[in-house]
Amino acid sequence: MSLDLTKIVSQVGGMVARLKAGSEERRNRLQQALTVLHNQAGELESLTRKIASSKTTWLVAGLVDGLDRRYEAPPLPAEFTILATDGSHIDVDRHKSTRCYLINIGAVNLHYGAQPSASLDSFPCLYSSDEDLVVTPAGVRGREQPVEGVLLGIKRSVEECHRLAELAAELPLGSSSLALIDGSLILWSLEAFPEFVAEALLDKGFLNYLDDIRKLNNGRRLALASYISFPRSTDVVNALRVALCPHEIVDTDRYCNACETRECDEVAGVRDRELFLNLLAEGERTALFISPSKIQKRYGRHRVYFFYLRVDDEIARVEVPQWVATDKELLNLVHSLVLDQCRRGLGYPVALSEAHEQAVVTASDREQFWQLVESSLVEENLPSLTSAKSQSKRTRWV
Amino acid sequence: MAEGQRVGEVIEASTTDFVAQCYELYQSPPLGSLVKTRDEPVELYGIVYNATTASLEPGRRPIARGKDEASEEAIYRASPQLLKLLRSEFSALVVGHRQDDKWYHYLPPKPARIHGFVYLCPPEEVKEFSQSFGFLNILINTHLPVSTDELIAACLRQMSRVYEDRHTFLVVAGKELAILLSGQFNQLKAILERIKQ
Repeated sequence: MSLDLTKIVSQVGGMVARLKAGSEERRNRLQQALTVLHNQAGELESLTRKIASSKTTWLVAGLVDGLDRRYEAPPLPAEFTILATDGSHIDVDRHKSTRCYLINIGAVNLHYGAQPSASLDSFPCLYSSDEDLVVTPAGVRGREQPVEGVLLGIKRSVEECHRLAELAAELPLGSSSLALIDGSLILWSLEAFPEFVAEALLDKGFLNYLDDIRKLNNGRRLALASYISFPRSTDVVNALRVALCPHEIVDTDRYCNACETRECDEVAGVRDRELFLNLLAEGERTALFISPSKIQKRYGRHRVYFFYLRVDDEIARVEVPQWVATDKELLNLVHSLVLDQCRRGLGYPVALSEAHEQAVVTASDREQFWQLVESSLVEENLPSLTSAKSQSKRTRWV
Repeated sequence: MAEGQRVGEVIEASTTDFVAQCYELYQSPPLGSLVKTRDEPVELYGIVYNATTASLEPGRRPIARGKDEASEEAIYRASPQLLKLLRSEFSALVVGHRQDDKWYHYLPPKPARIHGFVYLCPPEEVKEFSQSFGFLNILINTHLPVSTDELIAACLRQMSRVYEDRHTFLVVAGKELAILLSGQFNQLKAILERIKQ
């Protein structure tokens, strides 16, 4: 039986009515947030100190070069290349007799200039060996973490970065290029896993490949950035909440429960993207901010900075590693090339959207993949048992 | 026999026709040209009856992009990936085959092989093939998305180009058609009008 939409209609109506009722209050909070943003822009030093000393349960953006500054897009270079990767995967299926997973990486190289060219490719890889299926701590047995679900998502991000580093290594000397990743550079979901997992996937994986890309800046200009469309983050608004807090040293665990005045609620519920949509003109970017995530301690010279960029009526979050953020030329390259990619791609970077098209694994691809695995097992007279639950989903009956 | 120019690769095949993908976008052979593909020891000959250029994926249709561009070429320059996302295909009607140096102007025992290379037949091969007009019967009796009259006329025009005396070739072909279409005067007239020089 498919979803009975008639039973949902009135619930949707209720949701819309609630949103409508709260819209004026949201507008007021947004206006208040903009006022605080402009006021605090003159108090940067004290706000930076206050943020540094604060202890909050929410993420607060670190300040770098201002709060309400705006930068126009620099001009495009005459010749440039955009590299992008994106991935999708088929997760381990516990209802199948074979434990394995598949990662498909889509990779794109777009060159613009006098001799434009494009290369679009996909790299599917099947993982089934013991070392692929679990992350094991060095020397100790028994605490291994199975690579599936969230961890497989992280492994996929690592492989996306790996492929991007390989693509970048082929760039000619003297070129100006941007390597683009979809989503965040911060693998924050690793925080939930033991130390050795972060060591294996982040230190020896993701950060290692970021470093390979950084080193390629010898003789060529190669920037790296990740692009988050329609971001939900509130890091900058949270910095305004810190500014509004009457306590000299903000400590949410200590003061918030007993706080009756709740000054910071004046800007609660506002997202960074709403704030900057009212500040930035088309093509402009904000100042740089530092992402405060706990996992960032491991990032070293790849510590993640970000800015917001306005493309038409959308605000995107662009994250860059420290070595890009502190190099004006590379940072300008990111700004101009990401904007150009969005304009060519009807609002979303064309290289990322093509990389996604190369990577995508549809429901029917999944079905065919498992059929291939099962028929190959049968051909070799190996048992290909599936769970009764899986069978019942496949063969539906009344 | 010369190999001819390789123009594509078979991606769909049946007893009566095959579809080939071009190696280069928009580089399909002209309507009515003679092409061949091989399934050793048989060489299959076909007449190109249709060509299309469309998105590589059926779910992704091209969109208009040139509103702010100065030229059509600028559209491709601004989006170099387009050349990789579109593909040109052509369909050929099987009109005969050759085995052990013998020509047969009727259908071969088996369809073409998928991924078989497709070549545009060189002039001397077109000449050899058109020594007999047996293939006209297949063209007349087939149902295609393009009009048979158009296809027969295009095919004869293409073939006549390899002859020094094009006129004589077309007159002989016209006489053959007059026999085959003795009861269909209007169709005969339509074809003859399309091949007269």
